[in-house]
Amino acid sequence: METVFDIIFIQELLLSTVRMATPILIVALAELYSERAGLVNIGLDGIMTFGALSGFLICYITGNPYLGILAGAISGILINMIYAFCTIHLGAEQIVYGMAINIFAPALASFIYKIYFGISSTLVQATLMKTVPIPILNKIPVLGVVFFNHTPIVYIAYLLVPLTYVFFSKTKLGLNYKAIGEFPKAAESMGINVMLNKYIACIICGILAGIGGAYLTTAYISTYSDGVVAGRGFIALSAVIFGRWMPGGVLLAALLFGFTDALQLRLQVMSSGTPYQLLAMIPYLSTLFVLAFFGIKKAGPKANGKPYFREER
Amino acid sequence: MRELLVMKNITKKFGDIYANKDINLIIREGEVHTLLGENGAGKSTLMNILIGLYQPTSGSIYYRGKKVKIDSPSKAMKLGIGMVHQHFMLVEAMTVFENIILGVTKDSSIFIKKDRIKKDILELASKYGLNVEIDKPITEISVGEQQRVEILKALYRGAELLILDEPTAALTDIEVEGLFRVIKKLISEKKSVVFISHKMREVLEISDRITILRMGHTIKTLDKNKTNAEELAALMIGKKMVSSKYKKVSKTKENIIALEHISFNKESKHNGIKDISLTVGKGEILGIAGVDGNGQSQLAQVVTGVITPHEGNIYLYGKKVAQFDPNDFINSNISHIPEDRNKMGLIGDMSVKENLILKSIEKSKFSLKKGLFLKKKIINQYSNEMKKKYDIRCSSIDQEVRNLSGGNQQKIVLARELEMEPELLVAVHPTRGLDIGATKYVHDKIISARDKGCGVILISADFDEILKLSDRIAVMFEGQIVGIYSGDNPPIDEISLAMAGKAE
Repeated sequence: METVFDIIFIQELLLSTVRMATPILIVALAELYSERAGLVNIGLDGIMTFGALSGFLICYITGNPYLGILAGAISGILINMIYAFCTIHLGAEQIVYGMAINIFAPALASFIYKIYFGISSTLVQATLMKTVPIPILNKIPVLGVVFFNHTPIVYIAYLLVPLTYVFFSKTKLGLNYKAIGEFPKAAESMGINVMLNKYIACIICGILAGIGGAYLTTAYISTYSDGVVAGRGFIALSAVIFGRWMPGGVLLAALLFGFTDALQLRLQVMSSGTPYQLLAMIPYLSTLFVLAFFGIKKAGPKANGKPYFREER
Repeated sequence: MRELLVMKNITKKFGDIYANKDINLIIREGEVHTLLGENGAGKSTLMNILIGLYQPTSGSIYYRGKKVKIDSPSKAMKLGIGMVHQHFMLVEAMTVFENIILGVTKDSSIFIKKDRIKKDILELASKYGLNVEIDKPITEISVGEQQRVEILKALYRGAELLILDEPTAALTDIEVEGLFRVIKKLISEKKSVVFISHKMREVLEISDRITILRMGHTIKTLDKNKTNAEELAALMIGKKMVSSKYKKVSKTKENIIALEHISFNKESKHNGIKDISLTVGKGEILGIAGVDGNGQSQLAQVVTGVITPHEGNIYLYGKKVAQFDPNDFINSNISHIPEDRNKMGLIGDMSVKENLILKSIEKSKFSLKKGLFLKKKIINQYSNEMKKKYDIRCSSIDQEVRNLSGGNQQKIVLARELEMEPELLVAVHPTRGLDIGATKYVHDKIISARDKGCGVILISADFDEILKLSDRIAVMFEGQIVGIYSGDNPPIDEISLAMAGKAE
């Protein structure tokens, strides 16, 4: 047992953490963009599932995982437009429509998969995205393997964190965007187009959540099956709350959940006596734990979740 | 003077209701133009049309002689129209600086050039005497300063026509003076100001011309120098006002409530009370004067049992209060007109009749088995009676309360609280946001309750109201009572000084 915790183990654990955190990070950023514009979207899981299916399908047909990611992004936008229209235009309850997406999108994905591949017990395999090591940096001991030997999607996901930070804290557009989630009427009275920005928020959310789903089936595993997302959308949702609606915080939260996921996989291999279901619960239990202790609603955007009408008296 | 803005035959319908009907308004360059009217006269609707938040149903707007269509606030801003809303449009999570630059596209850069923009803003601020702490979060500055931020915001966007919607409502007298200095400065720079208010004294002090609106119509535009308060009031409410003078009574021996050295949160100057001792007798009105936020809210909550004082004792009808519980206080015949009727006084989503019986629901008059079964018929009959007696204007007693005007909402609170025939009435800002007619109604009701022997604690930031109604006046400053005066021929100068914290 002593050799288990050597440097290789730690390196593998950290590498896996970074990989596992990636889909959660991308999707949590999707939610961050949505909630900063006042739209709570709990339909992330559904968007991810649909992104996972369309990403896989296009990847299988074309043999190109990058086209799969693109397909995931586009399908994410399309699905999220249902949510956008109902909540922004019609002022419908956001939670209800988020839930509707969660019920509708996975069912549609499953339906399309079965039409295309028929009902069979063997899983269809598609091309998996290859890792692209970053020259020089990947030669650094331990860190090189952990951070600089991934698929491009991983790099993009982590780069999005500082970009998002700069957008929200240093740019005019970001400031205007934040105002919409805080006090849309004030934003409107300052000449900011609230409706337009909310749609943009939904497009960004759709793209990122769709990519997060497609990542799972084109860069993480090379198959699609029902339930492939496995609640990661909800974990991402809690990562936003735990991360206090700030990009850096969201990153830390995603890494924490990625770490618990990586850890439980390793524990499954190591302790064959324990039922694997128990260990598989760890990431979800840690989500529950974190939300119970750190889930303070106060920190979020003030007008989050509230519909907005310009001519309301 | 040249005409800056002409609004011609503006009509706005909400559903079947006309909020504005054929309104005509001319604003000249470099003038302060007051819009005077009761609540619901259509002032705010008209201004929301002018800044592009609402679209008029019909009518046209001309700006500098050219016909314009203002279909969004950004369009209004481009024309040079800015508005300071009664409820400030400030993002609390952001700083003063961020609020000012929100939505501004003066240069094409993506990033915020903080130092340069700050310099511009501070220059503008000093030009008009608008003192602001630019890096502070909105939550940490006073209401007066928030208003200066709002004005600065409009000016930074190049406003030539500035609309101020009830700008003095939340200000102290000193802050009002400061605001008037700013307005005069703006006028001297050839900018125009639309001033919305129903405080006659201020209107006559600051305006050049005055347009009176009533029930959505323009009644008349008058020159300030050719009119007076009586004429304006008469035009505004449509009938001649009799300026009411209530007779004052002297304190009876019998105390209803007595506070002995009460403190709550006494370290806080604005949200606490410190060592307060006072008594209210049968059939008298004790007015608590003071600038908002000097502990009045806490005092009101202590005497209605909402919060438990940290120190001191309260005696009700000579008996010491052992436990602070609002329900016990209600049962000891204490009625409360709370400071915020929407948050504390009424349940907006419930009907008129439900709100009317909220506090009496357990009484056998309205229900069997302590509120388990309601006596629907009796409740309906009672509510209709109240509707008539208190002149509550609603389409039916089943209408949701939040759809009523402020005045009618307050009448529901009054009906509920006064019908319980209280022995002590705690009225906090009872006429805030109400028009002259509704205000007089509320005042009459309070006086008639007093005449029936009810003791009244009247807390108000409106000094005129305190002077008009109170039999004795206590002044609160930074959580303490700094003076008690007779309400009959009160020494106004002395009281004003005490309110400003300068009592001898």
